Amino acid sequence: MSQDVSLMAHLMRRAGFGATRNELDEYLSDGYEATVDKLLDPGESDHMPDDLIRRYHVDQSELRQLDGAGAYWLYRMLTTSNPLEEKLALFWHGLFATGYAKLNQARALLNQIDMFRKYGFGSFRDLLVELSRDPAMILWLDNNENHKEAINENYGRELLELFSMGIGNYSEDDIKECAKAFTGWTLKNAEYMSVRASKDSIWPYGRIAWHYEYRADDHDSGEKKFLGEVGNFNGEDIVDIIVTQKPTARFLSTRLFQYFASDEVDDDGVQVIKAMMDSYFESGFKVSAVLRTLFNSDYFKSEKCRYSRVKGPVESVVGTARLAGSYQEPTLDVHSLWAQTMFMGQGLLAPPTVEGWHEGVEWIDSGSLVERINFAAKELSDPAKEGVQDIIRRVTAGYIDLIHAENLVDSCLDFMGPIQVGADTREGLIEFAESQGKLHLKNGKTDEDGSAQVARLIGMIASTREYQLA
Amino acid sequence: MGNKNKSLVVVQLSGGNDYLNTVVPYGDDEYYDFRKTVHIEQNKVLPIDKVYGFSPHLAPIKRLYDQGKVAVINGIGYDNPNRSHFRSMDIWHTAQPDEIGTEGWLGRVIRDLDPTAENVLTGVNFGRGLPRALGVRGVPVASVGNLDTYGLFPDIKDESAKKLALDAFAHMYGGVQGKDPVLNFLGQTGMDALKGADILRTAPQKYSSAIEYAANPIAQGMKSIAQVLLADFGTRVFYTQHGSFDTHSGEILTHAKLWDEVSGAVGDFYDDMQEHGREDEVVVMIFSEFGRRIKDNGSGTDHGSGGVAFIIGGEIKGGMYGQYPSIKEADHLEGDLHFNNDFRSTYSTVVEKWFGLDPVPIVNGHFEQFDFVNA
Amino acid sequence: MVITNTTSIKYLKTIGIVNNGFNGRGFANPYDVAIGPGDNIFVLNRCDPARRNAIRVGVCNLDEEYLYEFGYGFGDGDGQMMLPVAMAFDAEGRLLITDEHTNRITIYSDEGEVLGKWGQKGESEGEFNGPAGIATDSSGTVYICDQRNHRVQKYTADGMFLTQWGSQGTGPGEFNLPWGLGLDAEDNVYVADWRNDRVQKFDSNGHHLKTIGDSGVKQEQLIRPSAVSIDQSGNVYVADWGNERLQVFNSEGKVIASLRGEATLSDWAKDFFESNPDEMETREISDLNPDVPDHLNDPYHISSQTEPFFWGPVSVRIDDNNRLYVVESNRHRIQIYEIE
Repeated sequence: MSQDVSLMAHLMRRAGFGATRNELDEYLSDGYEATVDKLLDPGESDHMPDDLIRRYHVDQSELRQLDGAGAYWLYRMLTTSNPLEEKLALFWHGLFATGYAKLNQARALLNQIDMFRKYGFGSFRDLLVELSRDPAMILWLDNNENHKEAINENYGRELLELFSMGIGNYSEDDIKECAKAFTGWTLKNAEYMSVRASKDSIWPYGRIAWHYEYRADDHDSGEKKFLGEVGNFNGEDIVDIIVTQKPTARFLSTRLFQYFASDEVDDDGVQVIKAMMDSYFESGFKVSAVLRTLFNSDYFKSEKCRYSRVKGPVESVVGTARLAGSYQEPTLDVHSLWAQTMFMGQGLLAPPTVEGWHEGVEWIDSGSLVERINFAAKELSDPAKEGVQDIIRRVTAGYIDLIHAENLVDSCLDFMGPIQVGADTREGLIEFAESQGKLHLKNGKTDEDGSAQVARLIGMIASTREYQLA
Repeated sequence: MGNKNKSLVVVQLSGGNDYLNTVVPYGDDEYYDFRKTVHIEQNKVLPIDKVYGFSPHLAPIKRLYDQGKVAVINGIGYDNPNRSHFRSMDIWHTAQPDEIGTEGWLGRVIRDLDPTAENVLTGVNFGRGLPRALGVRGVPVASVGNLDTYGLFPDIKDESAKKLALDAFAHMYGGVQGKDPVLNFLGQTGMDALKGADILRTAPQKYSSAIEYAANPIAQGMKSIAQVLLADFGTRVFYTQHGSFDTHSGEILTHAKLWDEVSGAVGDFYDDMQEHGREDEVVVMIFSEFGRRIKDNGSGTDHGSGGVAFIIGGEIKGGMYGQYPSIKEADHLEGDLHFNNDFRSTYSTVVEKWFGLDPVPIVNGHFEQFDFVNA
Repeated sequence: MVITNTTSIKYLKTIGIVNNGFNGRGFANPYDVAIGPGDNIFVLNRCDPARRNAIRVGVCNLDEEYLYEFGYGFGDGDGQMMLPVAMAFDAEGRLLITDEHTNRITIYSDEGEVLGKWGQKGESEGEFNGPAGIATDSSGTVYICDQRNHRVQKYTADGMFLTQWGSQGTGPGEFNLPWGLGLDAEDNVYVADWRNDRVQKFDSNGHHLKTIGDSGVKQEQLIRPSAVSIDQSGNVYVADWGNERLQVFNSEGKVIASLRGEATLSDWAKDFFESNPDEMETREISDLNPDVPDHLNDPYHISSQTEPFFWGPVSVRIDDNNRLYVVESNRHRIQIYEIE
């Protein structure tokens, strides 16, 4: 296999949800840097149209409940032509973790995800302002209870601690002043909407979606002292100050590095993060500039960076289904895909707390690993799936009547990724391939039994340890 | 750790069980005033005393109650009741009403019962995914959707094909590892999963019983629990759930069916334990995230507060515990029953008096305990 | 309310409440309505995946009494449904229901007894790929939109194939995923040509007569129309699903009324608030008809935030008493209007 292919496959595992060989061939014809540019400046994406989804799935039209809303986003991930747009939205969803459990409002969460799509590549300043105006975030962190006469610090605190600077870079007073600046930032009909949220009320006619409201009469317009600066700050002014702080640049760059490059930050990683911070300031806080620096770094392209992340459950589900070519049209049981992400420990739109999910090896326990393996093995061992058929066609092309187990294994590994595996894994796979009997071809093609036989091996590859890594 | 050979089965009634139609204040006229449509008729109630009685759909539980094996915890709840399913269930799971907790109370129980995580089967959940009550980092809990197909490759139906896949899996995950700690961890976790499944799947073969459980999911869940418990794998905490008890409409029919299923399953389970001489070693705890509004809505009842829990077992001192809340209008809490005992009192009692563990770190504080466990 | 020279459409009432259980009063993503014996209102509950075992027809009356319901669960067994779309009573008072997943038409009595069925997946005569809208004429003839075969099929009352017309395309007589279907007094056939953003009118043998609407948000335009009904004067009522409104065209194709919806509390909703006064208190200080910000300012988002407006209007039907029923899947209710 060529180095170009494995590098591009690596990029697409990180900046997307993996890629089929057809997709890789297209990206390769553009080249690495051009692909990075295209990923970072995607324009309008192609994806499954809303009207088809809404006509077929009443639950995804109404979006009353979590599973339908999760499936709706999964459709987008599964069919988008701009995978980084969704991968980055998923990053923001983990970082600005807003959960269904308190809100009972799936439409508001999906509107928040839309906001991530729109602002996620641009200025971090604009993103934080939009985040502060996001009704789901407002209710999630009680900013509807943050009043001129009685502040609620929750949003002010998390904005600094979890969303921008990180703990240790500001004082308790800064938190209070920050909270004051965001008084009056609430949602329309806040009183009724918060009662409905607190009771999970869908009565009488289903959910009522939310939007932002600024109540000037509930805003503290007095003088505030924040991070050493003094003024009659409103929320936008606070964000303006936050984004110029070095800790903010470090925080954002580090989190992007861990999500897109490597779970662990080593010395080389520290250097990459420094370069990302420089790009952050040089570009006027642009997320796309920070990511471009990362994707084009030698570190990112190095062998060391490959397979150094544990795939998250959503990545795993979406990547597997995209490889299999499933769910490209409205499909009856798509809501169960959302349940899969939950069983694997990452219920989409339902992070357990504002801290998001614990990632890396913490994704893995025996229960979640079994769920991952069973899902991937079932999807990819099905010879009726178009993606599986495509792999089988590529694997058998060039052979005439017989493929030996060893070649079959190596070829499947190649066209499923390429995926690099250790010696034990490869031996286990060869043993498995041999146990299935000889694979005979007719005119370079498998018959029905032969296809099923190759598909079983593909399913077994999806069960390996290495398949759990990105 | 803790009292050996004692186990706990938690049955979660998801959706908010209607307390008033479970333990019915049939002797109180106001019940029928508030429940014009959604009530249990007086002559159908199975009386406990002149005022309160069980819904007829709890007949098997009433039978155990009459044997003195059922503690009814009346008016259970917590301060500032939350009426959202997710949040209130979270509160019951994490024993933290005031902030968003990260650790499940039963996960902590499992950790204290088996601090070195020697047995991957100390806690077993029947159902897909892990309820938050069982979730604590580093505490292994098996989640079993279906005991017969539990484990890897449930979709491979052919036994010999499945064996080939499992052999290959063991080869791939069990081999000598390199330096990569993540791959090693994955290997170890995969082998643990393989081992746990191999053990669990033997439970149905070891089991024999005269009890015939019904075909519904909760009955089958209780049967699986009986199978695993009787197989003596050292499981101490079992979890399962049934629902949905979210009866906003058509409550009479739905609530009756659900309780027929739950009480039938629990009654059969108790008999099964008795048949095997194990009824003194297991306690069943039944709870729901909240009760429902006192006034019906013409077809069902909406989210409320103040509920009921049941503790059932051979070593339980049966009877009515806690106070049945007043349903007089003046005593309502925002249209709901006023709780009068914190659910963590019941948890503490089970943790200390049943398991012999220190309840304080498990339920996040000191709570007055009941006296429903035989000394 | 919009008044023209000859026709006025007056809001009457709203029936419904969301039902998130498995039985009892209220609706679960209702998809169609049919008026049966005794003017009883039959409502087809498509149900979301979590409740699909309770796919059923609920029956109530204009006084909002919930009378009874019937259903046989989710599946392809006798009487069962998976993705039901539409229904109609035939001349003999039997209820026909289409199912776009099982590719079947099932015939029920008005009490829910299963009387018959026909259809299977395919492209040939008598086969379907996603049967959707259905209507019957006075002699019992049945017309069905065969969605993914992009055609209309015509059957006898007992499911004998008579004729068909249409293929995929954008020209006259061609369709793109047609959904609803209605008949006028002369048995002309009107088809909500969903993905072509128009309604087409045919005679009963499928000769194209005219096209109503083109793609857009203006008055004479439509986006993804889901259903169509015709009143006694020949006015055409179109559920303009993508624009979340009801457009009424006269026989010349001019829009004479455009409704956005004005739902009020049903009796069932009032019962709810009576036992949940805490919600009523905060509701009363709320603006349920708010101005919305630009980025949420398309019909779908406006309706998601504006409770009285139509949201997901999937069916429009007119009964013999000139009452107009608009079924909203996303709001689990039916807004009823009187045509005067």
